[in-house]
Amino acid sequence: MIELVHLRKEYDNVLAVDDLDLTIPQGEIYGLIGPNGAGKTTTIRMTCGLLSPTMGRARVAGVDVAQEPEKAQQHIGYLSDFFAVYEDLKVWEYLDYFAHAYKMRESEIPARVSEVIAEVNLEVKRDAMIRGLSRGMKQRLGIARAVIHRPKVLLLDEPASGLDPKARLDLRSLLLGLRDRGATILISSHILTELEGFCTSIGIMEKGRMVRSGRIEEVTAAENPARLVRLSWSGDSPAGDSLRTVQEQLQREPRISEVKLATGAGAFGFAGPEEDLAPILAGLIAGGVKVTSFGEVKQTVEELYMKLSTHEVM
Amino acid sequence: MADYAMRIWSNPEFVRHRRAELRPVRAITVGAVVLVVCVLVGLACLSYQHTIADNLRRWDTQEGTRRLAQIEDQFARTTWLLFYKWLIGMQGAALTFWTLFSCAQSVSGERDRKTWDFQRVTRLSPAEILIGKLLGEPVLVYFAVLCAAPVTLIAGLVGGLSFGTVISVYAFLAMTSLFLGLGGMWLSTLLESRSRAIGLIGALAFYGFTLGARGLEASGLPGLAALSPLMATFALTKSAGVGHLLRPVLFGHEVPWLLMCFLLCGSFSAWLAVMLVRNLKRDYQEIRPLSRWQAVGCAAFLNFLIFALLRPAGLSDFSQYGAAGSFPDAKSVATFAVAINGLILFLMGLATLTPQERLNVWRRKRATGEAAMFADDGLPWPWLAISAIVAYGLMIWGLMAWGHALPLGMGTLQTAAVQLLMVLVFVTRDVLFLQWCMLTRLRQPVVKGVLYLFLYYAAATVFIIIASISSRDAGRWVMALLTPVQVFDADAAGFAFPVATYVGLVLQMVLASAVLVAIDTRLRRPVRVGAAA
Repeated sequence: MIELVHLRKEYDNVLAVDDLDLTIPQGEIYGLIGPNGAGKTTTIRMTCGLLSPTMGRARVAGVDVAQEPEKAQQHIGYLSDFFAVYEDLKVWEYLDYFAHAYKMRESEIPARVSEVIAEVNLEVKRDAMIRGLSRGMKQRLGIARAVIHRPKVLLLDEPASGLDPKARLDLRSLLLGLRDRGATILISSHILTELEGFCTSIGIMEKGRMVRSGRIEEVTAAENPARLVRLSWSGDSPAGDSLRTVQEQLQREPRISEVKLATGAGAFGFAGPEEDLAPILAGLIAGGVKVTSFGEVKQTVEELYMKLSTHEVM
Repeated sequence: MADYAMRIWSNPEFVRHRRAELRPVRAITVGAVVLVVCVLVGLACLSYQHTIADNLRRWDTQEGTRRLAQIEDQFARTTWLLFYKWLIGMQGAALTFWTLFSCAQSVSGERDRKTWDFQRVTRLSPAEILIGKLLGEPVLVYFAVLCAAPVTLIAGLVGGLSFGTVISVYAFLAMTSLFLGLGGMWLSTLLESRSRAIGLIGALAFYGFTLGARGLEASGLPGLAALSPLMATFALTKSAGVGHLLRPVLFGHEVPWLLMCFLLCGSFSAWLAVMLVRNLKRDYQEIRPLSRWQAVGCAAFLNFLIFALLRPAGLSDFSQYGAAGSFPDAKSVATFAVAINGLILFLMGLATLTPQERLNVWRRKRATGEAAMFADDGLPWPWLAISAIVAYGLMIWGLMAWGHALPLGMGTLQTAAVQLLMVLVFVTRDVLFLQWCMLTRLRQPVVKGVLYLFLYYAAATVFIIIASISSRDAGRWVMALLTPVQVFDADAAGFAFPVATYVGLVLQMVLASAVLVAIDTRLRRPVRVGAAA
């Protein structure tokens, strides 16, 4: 759905994006992460046709953005970190303007405007002047603008910066709803918790280059061949019987490594599939260990980023 | 036609402005204010006419009585005509001024409000944005004029003007305001949001230029005065001493001011529209007014205008004008054309400067043989040379065409060739210098580059003055070495210029080559890795 091929952008004598290759299939939510100045915004602006690449090409829904910008923009919804709106229009007029600007069919515009207004919970403000809206409402209106023409691809550049927690949750559920309807979403952020549990794929950019890219589980697996498993138990005797049992049980399994145990708790690495953890747990319980918790510790996007990033902020 | 009108009426950008600017309360208020102003102006005109009549009654002389009888006989007609002139003058001023200034903030204002990117990513084509903004930004003043139009029409008709004249005046005002609006919008695209104030100053200068163009009426190119909104209005409404108003010439034939206005405003508007459509949806950093071929075409068009609008002295048809301000011989026309080409080539060079990013790509491709010297992203100097050759060709054509009025000798063409070569070398050097400035880290490199050039020529003038104090020859040598002015020496004939002129030519060519080397050195520097989003 989004295809970036050898994309390169130079600003004067500065290389902002260097030979970027990226393919995002339909229905993905792709999180582009990296420090400020890594080239995320430039990448998104080139993808939506706001900037011409120095070299390479961007294709959206099979359309070359540089060759047929207006055709490509039919499929693109763009949202940036600022929610600038025309203050001298009414809410419905603003959305009606963009519906016409995206050349939607005249007959479907009124219904679509009402639908989008409802999606962002602005029904009561439909006929209000935009200048009278609160900041949060203007932000929601900005989101409504980006999706008014039912884009197949949403390009979101730091969309949640400046949003309050409630608005962030609303944005997240709106985007998940769009994803469920088949939209492909490319979202850039340097606030990693924003992307947690939300993106299906990630790409880490630094100095204009893609350091790592792929589905989250694949990237995690590539970085961590062994799963990190934490466990805890109770009722250990002063002599440490349970601790010894745990140690023995874990040593029997050749795929276990980096065992770190203390009284009542511990962690180890396991280089096998998730379902193979069940016999290990069963063995511990059969050995008389009163296991109170046992499970894989999923790596957060933040941890993954910290591991992969070279932390060179430009 | 109706389909086009409908498409304009439903243009989303126009609709947005219409909705925002013409809400019912505001529209009613504007309409009421316009009508009140019309009534007040009408009463003032009536009072003025009464005052004149009263003053004439007090004279009590034969002449006074005769004029009083004349005024009383035509009282109603002259009062309505005066009323019409005031109304149309006010509408003309409001329309042209407001259109220019609102359009001069159209794009920079959107950049300032950060709404411009959202408009650029819609499916609106540049032409649709252009039409929407041009008609939408000043929609309030259009509405005000529309409110005043019926009163103006009645005043004009009762005042003795024909329906055609009244409509022609409106058509002319519409044409002029669209031209000014396009000029304003063009200024606006060139400015980042931070420099909106500069845009307004630029718009004011542009307005002053168009008004001041009236002064060109008595020049050798009288048609250029048609760029002033005053000329056609005066001619149509028979105002401002119309008996003395000269008529412009086109290919040696007198034409009405209205036609000249339509030709000039129309053709300049077309060039502005080409530049806007080419650039409206581009990022600020990527704006380049014209492609290289378009720039050559524009330079050719401007050269063509010189010979199309020329009014040579000595033609019996124009004997009533006298020789003042017109061209006495072919040499003066050629010298004028070369001097004007200095300006045209410089502006063309400015319009075709290549951004560093594109120049870098061009250089890399050139190194591998993928790009040509004349590529659109290459250096501008080959195109300046092409434009100069086209200008020279047009000069030969123009001077030969005017041969019946301005006898042409071979020496004139030879002199013009050397003059044009000198001007081309200086302009190339200056444009390459500006291109070099664009490769440096200067903020607003072109503006600063132009200021540096201004300083250079100011310093050169000082050196010439200092050298002239010691001897006249020394002054001429310095002038020839540092500026192109000396090449316009009236004593030059054929290729026979002073040695200093040719030395200056060689020196400037060496300097231009040095700037080329400096540009190449800059382009060889590796790009720094990092982002500047």
